[in-house]
Amino acid sequence: MEFINQHLLTLILFFPVLAAVIVLLLPKDRPQVIRWTAFGLSLVPFLLSVYLWFQFQPGQPGFQFEEKYVWYAALNSSLHLGVDGISLTMVLLTTLLTPVALLASFSVADRVKAYMFLFLLLETGMLGVFLALDLLIFFVFWEVGLVPMYFLINQWGSEKGERELWKGVKVQARNYASLKFMIYTMAGSLGLLLAIQLLGVLFQTYDLLTLTEKWTALEGTLLGLPVATVKTAAFWAFVVAFAIKVPVWPFHTWLPDAHTEAPTAGSMILAGVLLKLGAYGFLRLVLPLYPAESARYAGALAFLAVMAIVFGAFASYGQKDFKRLVAYSSVNHMGFVLLGIAAAAKASGTLDATIAMNGAVLQMFNHGLSAAGMFFLVGVIYERTHTRNLDDFGGLFPLVPVYGGILIFTSMASLGLPGLNGFVSEFLVVRGSWPVLTVYTAVAMLGLLFTGAYILKGIKQVLHGPLNEHWAHGEHKLTEINAREIVVMAPLMALILAIGLYPAWILDVINKAVTMLF
Amino acid sequence: MATEILIWLLPLPPLLAFFLIVLFTNKNKALSHSVAVGAAGLSWLGSMIVFVRALGVEEFGKHAFESVINWLPTGETWFQIGVRIDPLGAATLFFVAWTVLMIFIYSIGYHNFGQPAGDHDRKGLPPHGATVTDAHGHPNDPGAGKHTVPSVEPMYSRFFAFIGLFAFGMYTLVVSNNLLTLFVGWEIMGLCSYLLIGFWYGKPSARNAAIKAFMTTRIGDVFMLLGIAFLYSATGTLTFSEIFTEETLHHLATLSTPILGLSGAGLIGLLLFIGTVGKSAQWPLHVWLPDAMEGPTPVSAMIHAATMVSAGVYAVLRMFPLLSLDPATMSIVAFIGAFTALFAATIAVAQNDIKRVLAYSTISQLGYMIAALGIGAYVAAAFHLITHAFFKALLFLGSGSVIHGMEHGVLHTGNHHVDPQDMFNMGGLRKKMPITFWTFLIGGFALSGFPAITAGFWSKDEILADAFAHGHWAVFITLAVAAFLTAFYTMRQITLTFLGEPRTEEAKHAQETPWTMTAPLVVLAFFAVTYGWVGIPEHFPLLGGLIPNWFHEFVGSTLAEHPEAAPFSIWPLLTSLGVALGGLFFGWLAYRNVKSPAEDKLQLPVLKNKWYFDEAYDFLFVKPAYWMAEKFTYLFMDRQVIDGLLHAVARFSLFLGHVFRNYFDKPVVNELIGDGTANLVKSSGKGLRFIQTGRVQYYMLASMVLLVIFAVLYYFLLA
Amino acid sequence: MSIPLSWYLVLAAALFSIGLYGVLVRKNAIAILLGVELMLNAVNINLVAFWRYLDPAQMAGQAFAIIVFAVAAAEVAVGLALIIAVYRRRKTVVADEIDLMKW
Repeated sequence: MEFINQHLLTLILFFPVLAAVIVLLLPKDRPQVIRWTAFGLSLVPFLLSVYLWFQFQPGQPGFQFEEKYVWYAALNSSLHLGVDGISLTMVLLTTLLTPVALLASFSVADRVKAYMFLFLLLETGMLGVFLALDLLIFFVFWEVGLVPMYFLINQWGSEKGERELWKGVKVQARNYASLKFMIYTMAGSLGLLLAIQLLGVLFQTYDLLTLTEKWTALEGTLLGLPVATVKTAAFWAFVVAFAIKVPVWPFHTWLPDAHTEAPTAGSMILAGVLLKLGAYGFLRLVLPLYPAESARYAGALAFLAVMAIVFGAFASYGQKDFKRLVAYSSVNHMGFVLLGIAAAAKASGTLDATIAMNGAVLQMFNHGLSAAGMFFLVGVIYERTHTRNLDDFGGLFPLVPVYGGILIFTSMASLGLPGLNGFVSEFLVVRGSWPVLTVYTAVAMLGLLFTGAYILKGIKQVLHGPLNEHWAHGEHKLTEINAREIVVMAPLMALILAIGLYPAWILDVINKAVTMLF
Repeated sequence: MATEILIWLLPLPPLLAFFLIVLFTNKNKALSHSVAVGAAGLSWLGSMIVFVRALGVEEFGKHAFESVINWLPTGETWFQIGVRIDPLGAATLFFVAWTVLMIFIYSIGYHNFGQPAGDHDRKGLPPHGATVTDAHGHPNDPGAGKHTVPSVEPMYSRFFAFIGLFAFGMYTLVVSNNLLTLFVGWEIMGLCSYLLIGFWYGKPSARNAAIKAFMTTRIGDVFMLLGIAFLYSATGTLTFSEIFTEETLHHLATLSTPILGLSGAGLIGLLLFIGTVGKSAQWPLHVWLPDAMEGPTPVSAMIHAATMVSAGVYAVLRMFPLLSLDPATMSIVAFIGAFTALFAATIAVAQNDIKRVLAYSTISQLGYMIAALGIGAYVAAAFHLITHAFFKALLFLGSGSVIHGMEHGVLHTGNHHVDPQDMFNMGGLRKKMPITFWTFLIGGFALSGFPAITAGFWSKDEILADAFAHGHWAVFITLAVAAFLTAFYTMRQITLTFLGEPRTEEAKHAQETPWTMTAPLVVLAFFAVTYGWVGIPEHFPLLGGLIPNWFHEFVGSTLAEHPEAAPFSIWPLLTSLGVALGGLFFGWLAYRNVKSPAEDKLQLPVLKNKWYFDEAYDFLFVKPAYWMAEKFTYLFMDRQVIDGLLHAVARFSLFLGHVFRNYFDKPVVNELIGDGTANLVKSSGKGLRFIQTGRVQYYMLASMVLLVIFAVLYYFLLA
Repeated sequence: MSIPLSWYLVLAAALFSIGLYGVLVRKNAIAILLGVELMLNAVNINLVAFWRYLDPAQMAGQAFAIIVFAVAAAEVAVGLALIIAVYRRRKTVVADEIDLMKW
């Protein structure tokens, strides 16, 4: 027990790697064994994070469960881990969604071992970003997460579909999507890497806490330029890297492609966790390292956020592909996260900022739940019908009443219905940003309105209306959602309801961290 | 039990019923409706206890029941939510509890509980009837003994689950002590409204109506959310009792905003009021309510007459102290209310669908209340809200009963082309359905404001008196005209439906509905008459003072400043007598001999088509929005511009790669440096290869010669 | 009485030249080997002569000569062995015909 307490974060971070290795050693021809082992082992980090959640002291300032190991002595970079209320929430989300996604992947029959192996590696990559307190380590894990995801999309993505690049040039959609995802993220992180190197060279350390202190206090000239100029450039380098990941309009077009082509569980993790990496970058790096720049450019960030909210909703409403519709909804919802962050950056130190930031962090968690749920539900129906085209469905409710109920429930969470989780966070963001960024908030309401439109469109086209007889009889007969799939949805739905009805249990942790940080 | 705890518990039974039915009992119809009705009964009982206890409190307005808990942490403090029952809340709770319970009971009969399952019934479509064989002989039926009876709703349990959730939303809204939970209840009702309008989701019309309702009200809701955010950030609280302190109100009234020169209070009030415009279906967001009649009739009665649409008015009543701070906002409110009252009444005159007439009537009556609030007649609006809830629920349930009776006739004749909701297919139903007729008559007279005995008279009269007393002439005249139209179309409806002779075979075979449907009608009819007596003005001729004006005293005490009752004047009384009786008389006169729509002179296209609002909105908003979404945002901006830009970058990179490959790598690196070096070595090797004879003696000779040469050179040059 | 050093040197030079001529012009590998031997021994004469005339106290000249003997013996052994090996394979000891390395 003592050992566990001392090394809790390392255990959570690297257990998935161990699990991946164990999965690798299993016989290839026993997929069922592999599935259950991967699922069972992925529960371990989850249980550890739950334990972490209860051991965590929300009222205590600074980072907790800190661990520091020498990693690259020559560069003075170390494996420095630690959690506060913000990262704790994200760690919990990650370790919860991974087993859920693995359980959702039981229907994957192709190269199960490699699939599970990559998935577990992915978990480590994501956790590393949330736990790192060292910029170099942060960057390493930031890139580590990319590779498994690339292969998951590229190898296990949907086989059908082509994408025309320009006249006459067509590529397979999943190749296109995976490459777009990979190159876009990497291109974005080039600037980030440069900026990180700048900081590292300047202060001979990559430790986030030390850097924050020294960098923000730096004045004078640097590289022959005023520090303010250098800071602004570095600020935008950070922002672009994270904005692509969030993704913020107009950097968002990789997302619908990647989400649409990824396997179901891949989309769940992509929407549920990977997008949060970008937002987390804003919270953990951009705001602490660049308080002045963030405040100065808050308007620009808010503008991009509002564009994401409005155009995300519009684009989602304009879809004929169910999965793409859900994918665009992520752009819409993550826009609220950025809006909250922008408001918090602008009004730093006020109550408005705290509320906006609370809303942003909670929105990250909430979107993780509802988006993962929505993608899973799209996957459920796709597995049965092999189509995602909304026009091919219609009136399926009588055939799949349980599925329909769950879909409506999850959709309503995504729509932001009061009583479910999405409302709480959206309300907090709107409340926090209204006095700070009034016009932007008002325009964002247009997006909120169209959130309703696209969610209802999805329900209308899939469940309601005259029954499409094609799915009612014979070999195409649509089967009801099965027990395993309900088990996948159950924890998500329970949390959606729990946060909606009584958000204080999670918001209290976030709130304390936010109050102390900003 | 402490009253506060009881209030906390009020919304819970229906919510519990929802979960129980969804998770466990949905296979068993009897169990499901027992759970739902039982839950509604429990909430009703609790509400009555709270109501009675509230009556017993001295100066209840100042000593309301209130209790709070911490809900959201915000920085160092907490956002608290809680429950509050003050006089307004208690009065609202009273009518909500009654109407909800009645409608729950009514639904059992309406959905044909106890009838056999339909022959071809399908989930998502209304039941079509079942063929049974029994001794009940029908001489004109060729298959002897076989006949068609109404069939039970296939999604019977689901209906009760939904209305349970709805009741939860309504109770939550009423007991809230703050705007946020009020909004929670508000939106949950919105969801239930969506689910229930689209209850028969297999019908495209129902499906579209559901979406229309949700989206239209959502327009209001997002503004309301902004209003809430504004209010919260301006005052730091959303709790009513904390907002309505003199200090806070003063702060809000002096806050300036850049929009329309409104004060902070005015702008917040306006934003919140837009939410009401959506929810209470006021012009210009009224378009959803008539379409919402696609839902089952109990839904129309409960959601679209008695409770949810009333919630909009309730919210304005709640926020009245804030709204009344800014005269500009009040003028807007009064204008929208009065305009809606008249505008909707004109449309109602030309509708032939029995439920649609009532739908427009509801819009019109809600406009009445809003107009009353706009001119500051707080108590009158609350009074009309409650009386209207009773008589409009009664009218809707009555119309449901009529439709049910007509459906019986349709099943009997088997002619499914006859629309059982079209009033021109009815006539003479008073003999076939006496209970329905008499209760409907009471409801209709209450709606028209039939003098002295009906509740509608007293509440409507009070509004007119208030408008008259405070000199709001425009509002007074508009409302008076609207009241005339109301009486007119009500009498038209009664005449077409119940009076005269049956106009179709189906109407001849209509049947009275079972007791589960008629009993709620009787109960509501009782209130439609008697509830008016609690608010008779003191100085009213003859009747005034017989019963104290309890309502005014009680509800008026909700406000910090007790509003003055309007002084009595004979003119508004005469006006309301004149328009009510005149409207009823002309309605009867004009329609007593009308046989078909062709003979109806008021079927003007512009009224028939609801002043073309649906078409205009479709053209102005719906189509552009879809174009904006699909064509502009997705296909043009994302696919063409942004992806195009990305692809251009990709293409440029490819081009750059191509240039590098073809003009640098290939010629310079490959050919010049790479191949060039090799070629040089090769050719020089070729040139030198003659000395490579393979004969060791040549090599030796060569080395000797070189040695000699170097020796000579060494000797001459260096030595 | 004594023969001057130059005579020895001339002898050695002549012997060396004969050996060199043999190496360069003879085609038979064994003859070439013989030429090499003559050249080595010419060097030996030089070594011994210089030792006797220039620095008789030192043993270096003699020692070098003996080392040359040893090397020459080894060289002959290896050389003959190579020639025999080549002969076994190619049935010739003519140097011109052993031209595998030629282009």
